[in-house]
Amino acid sequence: MEDLIRHAEQINRQLARHGVKFGIYKNGTFKERLFPFDAIPRVITATEWETLSRGLTQRVRALNLFLRDIYGEKKILADGVVPEEFVYRSPGYLTQCEGIVPPGGIYSHISGIDLVKGKDGNWYVLEDNLRIPSGASYPLIARRLCRRCSSDTFRHNAVADNRQYGELLRRTLDSVNTGGINVVFTPGRYNAAYFEHAFLAEQSGAVLAEAGDLYVRDDVLYYRATHGDCRVGALYRRVSDEYMDPLAFEPSSLIGIPNLMAAYRAGNVAVVNAFGNGAADDKGIYYFVPKMVRYYLGEEAILHNAPTYLPFYEEDRRYVLDHLDSLVIKDVAEAGGYGVVFGSKLSRAELDKMRDTILAQPRRFIAQEVIDFEDLPIMEGSDRVERKADLRAFVLSGAQETVAWPSGLTRFSRNPDSFIVNSSQGGGFKDTWVLSH
Amino acid sequence: MGPVTLSKQNRLFWLGRYAERVYVTTQFLMQFYDALLDSTAPDYADFCRRLGAENVYRDAEDFCRRYLFDGNQPCSVRASMDALLGNGMVLRETITSPTLSYLQLADSAMDLASRSEAPGVELQWVLDDIMAFRGSFDEAVDLDGVRNITKTGGTVERLSLMLRLDWQTDRLRQEMRKLLNRLYKTDLNAEPKALQTITAYALEEADVPAPQLLHSVEGLFVV
Repeated sequence: MEDLIRHAEQINRQLARHGVKFGIYKNGTFKERLFPFDAIPRVITATEWETLSRGLTQRVRALNLFLRDIYGEKKILADGVVPEEFVYRSPGYLTQCEGIVPPGGIYSHISGIDLVKGKDGNWYVLEDNLRIPSGASYPLIARRLCRRCSSDTFRHNAVADNRQYGELLRRTLDSVNTGGINVVFTPGRYNAAYFEHAFLAEQSGAVLAEAGDLYVRDDVLYYRATHGDCRVGALYRRVSDEYMDPLAFEPSSLIGIPNLMAAYRAGNVAVVNAFGNGAADDKGIYYFVPKMVRYYLGEEAILHNAPTYLPFYEEDRRYVLDHLDSLVIKDVAEAGGYGVVFGSKLSRAELDKMRDTILAQPRRFIAQEVIDFEDLPIMEGSDRVERKADLRAFVLSGAQETVAWPSGLTRFSRNPDSFIVNSSQGGGFKDTWVLSH
Repeated sequence: MGPVTLSKQNRLFWLGRYAERVYVTTQFLMQFYDALLDSTAPDYADFCRRLGAENVYRDAEDFCRRYLFDGNQPCSVRASMDALLGNGMVLRETITSPTLSYLQLADSAMDLASRSEAPGVELQWVLDDIMAFRGSFDEAVDLDGVRNITKTGGTVERLSLMLRLDWQTDRLRQEMRKLLNRLYKTDLNAEPKALQTITAYALEEADVPAPQLLHSVEGLFVV
């Protein structure tokens, strides 16, 4: 491990050489930044991974069944396990998807599950990302470069190989492909995650395309090629639902594909991830995931949620209002670390204002106990310091199998006083080692 | 390697043009700076005019210090490098990550050169990285048709610069024959009149004035 740390600068130089960057808009200007990499990996033992992996696949299977149910028979709503209001008032719920069963019956093909490890040794799920979770490319490329810079480290440590992600992604796309090529659909060069779009297209052998490259004719999606147009069977889209089809969603979108929804509805193309998944990764719905696991799979959830309260329920609301100064409050409509407020950091007046907002819009928020989660060591210059870190684990669901990728993106806060680890807010990343025995 | 769209064809073509522009103008300017030492350098104002650059420089020394790295000048090496890297980034899955990494290296070398007290030394790295990019591109891109789009772009740019800068004009016919040879290995649509002019000149069937040749070279492809 020490050898790897000694080569940290070389690794970061290699990452720069390979253009491992993310984009950020600041004051209306697009800027690209290197994603700072810390060479000390997060290490997950084989036994720990065995439990994590089972818990992750269990959770994603339940979430896929939930999506199929709410856009189909709606049994979970009829049985009162999840209140209708939480589905129908979610901004991620799309009426346009009612009655559609995607190819292979899969909605969330690539799921990013955010977890933290508590000081009690338990892993807690903080968030499910079922729309267009990003981040797999970073540990994927970092591992390759780490192996190159410090081969001894990998000779002497039994680290599970994570370099098959591109192949796993290709298999997932192939399993739902309706006949045609696989395409990674990007909004373009100035998207924050453009590096990832291009890199994953390369790694999975898919074609990278933008809006003008694709069109729909007779409910079939085509890629406009110079040697005759090719049918597209699976579209791994990295564009939000609302911009995907100006005729079905946001009419002003210039980055979408007109009539894509018609092709999707006709079952002529697999959209990865499916439209309307936002109804299942809403922060409000998160509360109900363990109940979904019980309801659909007849099993107890292996992974814990962080202790969560829904002000929507009167009992929870009372608790939240009484303990506002010690809870973390999350706006369910926000993402990327935005809309997260720690009660302990609010002034008296701010707490009063938050209390009034919760009373006026109880459905808008969830509240969670602040988990005392494990700090991870990072190198700051030549010093080893401790920082908050989370783990985004990736679960890939194809028509035949659901697999947890034995790796993940470990993000850490560079600010010693912050729990926010998002790259958009200055965080860095680490490789995640799953030990093979 | 998947199928190619018109937009990708366009990017491949310009990838070749920008790579050549960075390579040739860097070389040209290094020779220009060297010639300044002996006061034999051509007029820098004329150079600006030929490349369509705005002459905002006080004198030859000011030009030397600022032009190369001036991102606001559309033909400067810095602006061409930005465009080259931008084109490479949107072609990653076609040209592969290792090939793209040479462009990233060239870009970083140019940054280093701009901060260096001896930029000429650092600029050699830019040239080396562009050459490595070409080699890696040749290795990585399997389809002849695709590879030749970029190579055609490179030859078009070289011809354009030769004609604009009145540089190595003794090699014009040779480069034009190379262009014609490559052209038939791509799906690029050539403008018939421009093609006729270039063919006649390349095969020594006609002598064509430089402005008309430049016009034909620039108008040969509508990509």
